[in-house]
Amino acid sequence: MPGLKGRVVGQHWYTPYVFMLPGLLFYAAMFAWPAVIAIQLAFSDYDIVHPVRFSGLDNFARLVDDPRVWIALRNSLLFVLMFLPLTVVAPLFLAMLVNLKLRAIQAFRMLYYLPVITSMVAVAVAWRYVFNREGVVNWLLGLFGAGPIDFLLDRHWALPTVVLLEAWKNAGLFMMIYLAGLQAVPSDQIEAATIDGANAWQRLLHVVVPALRPTFAVTLVLSMLEAMRAFESVYVLTRGGPLDSTLTLGYYIWSKAFEDYDMGYASAVGLLLWAIMIVLAGFNLLVTRRRDV
Amino acid sequence: MARRLYRSKPRITGRRIGLYVLLIAVAALFIGPFLILLSAATKPATQDVFGFPPDLIPRPPVAEWFREAWTTIPYARFLVNSVIYVGITVPVYLVVSALTAYPLARIAFRGRGVFFMLFLSIMFLPGELMLIPRFLVMSELGLTDTFAAVILPAILSSLGIFLLRQAFSQIPDEIVEAARVDGANEFAIFWRICVPIVAPTLAVLAILGFVSVWNSFIWPLVVLTTQSKFPIALGIAYLSGVSGTDVRGLAAGTVISLIPVIVVFLFLQKRILNSMGGAVKG
Repeated sequence: MPGLKGRVVGQHWYTPYVFMLPGLLFYAAMFAWPAVIAIQLAFSDYDIVHPVRFSGLDNFARLVDDPRVWIALRNSLLFVLMFLPLTVVAPLFLAMLVNLKLRAIQAFRMLYYLPVITSMVAVAVAWRYVFNREGVVNWLLGLFGAGPIDFLLDRHWALPTVVLLEAWKNAGLFMMIYLAGLQAVPSDQIEAATIDGANAWQRLLHVVVPALRPTFAVTLVLSMLEAMRAFESVYVLTRGGPLDSTLTLGYYIWSKAFEDYDMGYASAVGLLLWAIMIVLAGFNLLVTRRRDV
Repeated sequence: MARRLYRSKPRITGRRIGLYVLLIAVAALFIGPFLILLSAATKPATQDVFGFPPDLIPRPPVAEWFREAWTTIPYARFLVNSVIYVGITVPVYLVVSALTAYPLARIAFRGRGVFFMLFLSIMFLPGELMLIPRFLVMSELGLTDTFAAVILPAILSSLGIFLLRQAFSQIPDEIVEAARVDGANEFAIFWRICVPIVAPTLAVLAILGFVSVWNSFIWPLVVLTTQSKFPIALGIAYLSGVSGTDVRGLAAGTVISLIPVIVVFLFLQKRILNSMGGAVKG
């Protein structure tokens, strides 16, 4: 690290703070202050019209008895369970595919990445055409004698469809993360395994996957957090319906806050989601750290 | 050389063709929905959008739905708004991030690690959870339903500070010391020497910033009420809610909104793609 030897010519004690001043101001106004408000609200009653009233643990007592919180929690966990294989496993194969030394491979990387940079609103519109009752997916199902299914209107299909959309939209990002990891795997290890007679599958399991352990730590956390806070996709595709079948914690918070103006209660649910995310991230850190030793 | 020998073998060529078929099939999965959207947007009114088997080639392709989308909602206004949001947010974001990251990388001071952790903690305050308190902060500041309310929360991101800190700390000491000997003050060293060196990182952040501001939806939805201030993503949601909007018109409006992001992506794809892996590896 530069400059650790002591004060450098031209630097004063206040120099770093002058540089960081704008950043610290934005941090205070847009993160610290709102975070304090969020915690305060979780212990209060607030409907925007009447002044904030301290209500102790009422919100949390309500939360425990609220069946919709449990539905939302269950849906969010289901979301994670379905989302994990689609974003932690499938993109690894995508990355292996676009890691091949083939002509025009960059063009394919680009095409796979396209959904990542497009807006959720636009992507959701496109998906409504694809998953329409008379759309392409139902036509394909029809070829196998199945369907048609109203994917977004069916209680059993709506959540998997939303998860699929999120996974499809994020797959390119996870692919690029794995690609960076794959390109760092020493090629002599793979060659050595090949010479030892390992087939492609064995090479994957015994050489590539162990070498990618740090990458898995990243994708696992990213995938879980992304799934836990899924909200925009639910908002634009199903609004939590039908019959709460896609009600996630993120969507429940939004609807309590900005449809019912039950800001205090919504903040309490927000704290719950926050706590779950921190526990998941911490758990991940613990598991991946321990394996490294 | 060995590789060239391999390639001439017919078995390997067959494998290559198979791989391309696979690559193209996967590509269809990822861009198929966009193509179906484009197909719906260019079909004449006489041709069904849906139906079995899918009839995706427009006969003939028409532009009228783009015109319709453009006039059903104040489309130009939404596009201009999004340009304004991007045009203000991205430069301010870059300047603030660079200023913040610089001392974290290049100035020794007590608590540097704590400040760095503080800025990284932004990652654990996801925007979805901050909707309510930020909305209240904005009302407190009297800023709800203003352009400023949309822009302010987007100025700080942990990724920006993280990547720039990394870039700044990789600058060799000798370069900086030479300037210091010449009597340059810290700000001059930052602005004239270090910022130009980290320009590639700034470029990556500018692109990512552009994409995220262009696509931002939920926060503007919460904080804006006046339609004339809507960014484009909100405009599309509005278009899909306007009763009587033809499915073709909605598709056309969505296609227009995608064009700027896709154009930027096509021109800068290498940089964008490389940045993603690099960000995580660091």
